[in-house]
Amino acid sequence: MTVVSAQEPSDEALASRAAAGDDHAFEAIVRRYQARVYRLAGRLTSETDAPDVLQETFLQVHRHLPSFRGDARFSTWLYRIATNAGLMHLRARSRRPSEPLDAFLPSFDAAGTHCGTPEQLRVVSRADEVIDRQVLADKARDGLARLPDLYREAFVLRDLEEMPTVDVAEVLGIEPAAVRQRVHRARLLLRGYLQDVIGGRS
Amino acid sequence: MMETACASGLELLIDYLEGQLPASTVTALEGHVAGCQRCQAFIASYQATPRILRDATDTPLPAGAQTSLLEWLRKQRRD
Repeated sequence: MTVVSAQEPSDEALASRAAAGDDHAFEAIVRRYQARVYRLAGRLTSETDAPDVLQETFLQVHRHLPSFRGDARFSTWLYRIATNAGLMHLRARSRRPSEPLDAFLPSFDAAGTHCGTPEQLRVVSRADEVIDRQVLADKARDGLARLPDLYREAFVLRDLEEMPTVDVAEVLGIEPAAVRQRVHRARLLLRGYLQDVIGGRS
Repeated sequence: MMETACASGLELLIDYLEGQLPASTVTALEGHVAGCQRCQAFIASYQATPRILRDATDTPLPAGAQTSLLEWLRKQRRD
């Protein structure tokens, strides 16, 4: 009889067994990550597209497991596959061009002072108090969809999946400074968009 | 030293929040923000934006999706 360890096998141990053809190990990886990949896929694409991206991600993971060398952490490797699957999915569909959010960047007067009162500028921090939950969810998804892909993927990984900046840089294959720049643009655009939605436009 | 305005700090905000700025720049920024209600309000909403988006888009995997995913993947592996 095998003594079952109280400790779950590491991702890397499961990946190694799955790469060698162990289907149970592969399915353990699926169970471990599917909820996270589904949520990530929904944020990168849409709730409608998330199931397809979820399937595609794990199909790619299964195909490419033999080439996983352990240079990166398994989770980083998997997130890279999921992110690419999401973006490929978006590009494969003929999306209606969405209206960009550029109009919602912060504005300043001639002296470089923020336009708007402190109350208007602060209102986004109370979004969940002042706007209906379902409306906020719809607007959040609309705002995300209207971001340029480069900003959205960085923002979703860094701020929504809460990955460290250096890990996002590794997933996206860019420098940490570029991650910060893209996340910053996304935050500015979404902050301004939410302020407008709530009615705090200056 | 050049006087700091709200606008001049905007592009430094994420580097400031992630501890990437030199001490002298931090001092100048904090000096401005301490006396600027608009910047305090703006930064509060800038920092709240990730949390609001995160909470609003936190969609759980639908019930039954796990089983159907595993079955679909088994079929793909067989074919």
